[in-house]
Amino acid sequence: MSESIHNSRFRKWVASSPPVIWGVRQLRELLIGALRQGPIPQHVAFVMDGNRRFARDHGIETVEGHNLGFEALARILEVCYKTGVKVVTIYAFSIENFKRSKYEVDALMDMAKLKLTQLSEHGALLDRYGASIRILGQRELVKPDVLEAIDKAVSLTAGNKKAILNVCFPYTSRDEITSAVKKTIDTYSQPIGSHPSPSKRPFSETHITRNIRQQMLKTVPEDGSEKSSSRSASPESSKEQSSAGHSSATSTLMNQSEKGDAYSAAPSFPDPETITAETLTDNMLTAGTPPLDLLVRTSGVQRLSDFMLWQCHENTSIVFLDCLWPEFDLWQFLPVLVEWQWQRKKIQEQERGRVRQKTE
Amino acid sequence: MATTGYGPQESTAFRKGTVAGRPLTREEREQMLKPYLPPEPSSSSPSPSRPPTPSQKPRKQGSKHHRRPKPGIVRHGLHVLIYAVVSAIFSIFFRFRRAYRLVRSKVAAVLYYHHRTPEFIQRDVKNLDRLPQHLSVIVDYHESDDDQGNAGIEGLMNDVCEIAAWTASAGIPNLSIYERTGKLKNYMPDTHTAISRTLESYFGPRRKPTLSLRAPHLQSYSPPRTPPFSSTTIPDSSSPSPSSNDPVKHDRQHLNVLLLSAEDGRDTLLDLTKTLSQMGQNGNLHQSQITADLIDAELREAVSEEPDLLILFSPTVVLKGYPPWQLRLTEIFHLPDNKGVNYQVFVRALHNFARAEMRLGR
Repeated sequence: MSESIHNSRFRKWVASSPPVIWGVRQLRELLIGALRQGPIPQHVAFVMDGNRRFARDHGIETVEGHNLGFEALARILEVCYKTGVKVVTIYAFSIENFKRSKYEVDALMDMAKLKLTQLSEHGALLDRYGASIRILGQRELVKPDVLEAIDKAVSLTAGNKKAILNVCFPYTSRDEITSAVKKTIDTYSQPIGSHPSPSKRPFSETHITRNIRQQMLKTVPEDGSEKSSSRSASPESSKEQSSAGHSSATSTLMNQSEKGDAYSAAPSFPDPETITAETLTDNMLTAGTPPLDLLVRTSGVQRLSDFMLWQCHENTSIVFLDCLWPEFDLWQFLPVLVEWQWQRKKIQEQERGRVRQKTE
Repeated sequence: MATTGYGPQESTAFRKGTVAGRPLTREEREQMLKPYLPPEPSSSSPSPSRPPTPSQKPRKQGSKHHRRPKPGIVRHGLHVLIYAVVSAIFSIFFRFRRAYRLVRSKVAAVLYYHHRTPEFIQRDVKNLDRLPQHLSVIVDYHESDDDQGNAGIEGLMNDVCEIAAWTASAGIPNLSIYERTGKLKNYMPDTHTAISRTLESYFGPRRKPTLSLRAPHLQSYSPPRTPPFSSTTIPDSSSPSPSSNDPVKHDRQHLNVLLLSAEDGRDTLLDLTKTLSQMGQNGNLHQSQITADLIDAELREAVSEEPDLLILFSPTVVLKGYPPWQLRLTEIFHLPDNKGVNYQVFVRALHNFARAEMRLGR
């Protein structure tokens, strides 16, 4: 027992001696420089899980565990940006986390505020990293004083273009998707210039495009209703059709379209059929960032827990690690990155092989 | 903290903001950070927002750790060399690990084979505290017959049948099968016949579970002989061990199979958005009515419920377009380096699920 204490003390002494510190520092720099030589994920997301369990295991306070977690975050951000990752997204606080004890929530908020204020003091240094901070989430749920610190840090770094740090703070993915849907509906509910007088020409652009599309998709079940509405040749047919709904019977639709001819001052809307996955993606909080390449979750929990659902369900590599977040460092991240590079290379080889097969 | 490469002074400064018991000023903090900073940004991308502050000007590149404004050719060569060495070592390591895992899973497959008997499968899951009520799997459609021997529709159908039989044997009432291309949806009657035939070969004709096969936007397919859904005896969720539910005693066990494909993910959510915006354009929908609950209810009806457990049979976790909304709290299981559908993955996923703890943000 005493031997182990002695040992750990000795190890601590060695670890904190200047040459060892210098050596480790150099080794880290070398490894990071080496990693840069391969392909690097453009967008990495972290679920910082395990702070509380770490605190419990080590017999320290929960808040202290979160503090250590923040240190781990600082280390890993350094690794990410030095290797050339463009965007890092971290899951800092879930909307569900408000269910935790008030004491813990307040402590977390205070920590966020303190770190962001400190950060704001060093504007010049931040420019060196060229990283801008964005906060993704429900702003209404944050207290005003924290919000102030957030806004200051965000506006201070807004001009930096080299890298982005997305902090998901009161965030859940379902909430994000819902607001994206809402935003989309909002833009599509804005009339695009109401026509005060009906156009004299009997044709309208939306009609023609619809007819073209209809010819392309002969098998669409709405075919019948489309035909009937095109016969009525009214410029407001998009309105009527939408009011009638997709599955409604043809006769009611015709009636309505005849009625629609009577008053023609109704505003016209953009066609909802032009909504694509990209429209929604652009309305997500992560709009404008490269697609998510890698998602890392620590502490052995194999769940997404309402994080980045829209962003990670296609081609993202998801990695679940057993180590707790405060223990997470270059030494845990390195194998993940190398494996990702290895897989990336294999995928590229396969694709090349497929192309070669096709050309032969 | 031996591995971080920072001294004790820096650590305390970072944690408490003090050095030798005295709080740091802004300048001191910047001084301390200097050696760890990346090089100055190149002049081609000047920071647009701010003129350089005085503290930035007198900085010189003399620090020990900070030799480069431009990395020297030696350093670059060193990096390339180390990169080559590291990737070579890891490449060998990954290959060995894959071989080892392959051998281990083959041995396990021989030792714990289910012999196409439900009792064996029930024995494997007997001691679990809880079972998922809704299981989901991702399977792949292999175009070419490389090394698997399960290419094409035949192979896919075979995989699906086996999984369905295991699920029924374990006593799980709902199964959803995701396959990106949705090929199986074109063969609903065939799939139904194939699955019921497999179930018959597992359970025997007398206590074969009843089966209903469904896909979103398509009519549920069950042949006329199948008894209606209401007559089923889904094992109570309150009774933890499915083995106590001897299927012979009850009428019949029932299995719901749902076929999912990529279009049930983003595209369905898009369809919902389109419909909602049409309603918005007609003034039938108010902004505040669009909530996560509404979307959830719609998608639940149109596609599926949230599965409790998602099993991947691929070597890595890539979701391949699985419906995103439903994945919120789903436990995701995969066996590293596993390739192809096999019973070991299935059993280990169930075991893993029984151990997992659900916390919902707490």
